[in-house]
Amino acid sequence: MADGRTPGGGGEDGFPPVGPASAVRPFLVTAGRVAGAGEASSGRTMPVETQLVATTDGLDALDGLSFERHDIVAACRQPQSIAEIAARLKLHLNVVRVLAEDLRTAGQLSVHVPDSGVTHDASVLRRLIDGLRAIPDSRGVLRDSD
Amino acid sequence: MACGPSPTPGGYSVTPTEPLVRSGTGQASVRPPLPVKLVIAGGFGVGKTTAVGSISEIEPLTTEAAITEVAAGVDDLSHTPRKTTTTVAMDFGCITIDPTLKLYLFGTPGQERFGFMWDDIVEGAVGGLVIVDTRRLDDCYAAVDYFEHRQIPFAVAVNAFDGQVAHTLEEVRWALDVSDGVPLLVFDARERGSVRDALLVVLEQALARTAG
Repeated sequence: MADGRTPGGGGEDGFPPVGPASAVRPFLVTAGRVAGAGEASSGRTMPVETQLVATTDGLDALDGLSFERHDIVAACRQPQSIAEIAARLKLHLNVVRVLAEDLRTAGQLSVHVPDSGVTHDASVLRRLIDGLRAIPDSRGVLRDSD
Repeated sequence: MACGPSPTPGGYSVTPTEPLVRSGTGQASVRPPLPVKLVIAGGFGVGKTTAVGSISEIEPLTTEAAITEVAAGVDDLSHTPRKTTTTVAMDFGCITIDPTLKLYLFGTPGQERFGFMWDDIVEGAVGGLVIVDTRRLDDCYAAVDYFEHRQIPFAVAVNAFDGQVAHTLEEVRWALDVSDGVPLLVFDARERGSVRDALLVVLEQALARTAG
């Protein structure tokens, strides 16, 4: 547990270890902060599916960004969720939240928090249902759209 | 497409995200899809990751939800609560419905002792699928309770390992004490079509909720 990343129950509970542990304590990269300035003041948290996209300013500034900030902006040339960034860059979810908030404040990342009123809208749910029905099963058979 | 013209082209132009995007010095280089989240809960080894992997367009990714637990310091002379940081693996995948809409599937441990992480994961989810191994029903009680109390639309899916189910659905419904309104089904986490149909049951459940 020296680095705070290794699951205490890793292995014994059957959870596979999640790759090599970082040599850097996770919240060192946020200077110990567990919430970004804007997030703390707005009181809104970012759900794990929140979409992050690099801004043109962020991409222009890429060479000047260091370490995790650089990696996040670079990875967000294509929209990514907070969870995807955390998994791909092996960062804690909350570290990604803090850094995303910093990068947003600097204008280098746009942060799209989904509105649950929109995601729960009937038209959205119908589009999801239609989209899922179009997925063939392993034998290529479509579901009856009864 | 049965839903007809969307009042908001692409379904996303109302940009619910404006409060967070307004800093506006930089333009987003690409428009992100609307992310919709569905949670898959269940005990360890019940088939969550298998189910996600069967239908996800990407190999399931794993991230750690970092949790700080405050333990009561009964044997702590300083009377300060002992804080321990626990990390729990969470697997997820996604399905791009179209360029403007993406479904995320998050697998989360269903046992009660992981309940502390559910709010973080479940917040905003359109629905949940509780996967059950009929040999270990007690692993899913807490998840069923959670979805019921939070009034999140959900279905219970019995994973048929090798086509075998140890109990009938009536027995499972009785044992879990889920209301008749909660769909209960048997599925095979390894079969894409079977997982698809289970997710459809959850989404239909969520859709029915909007009509009510």
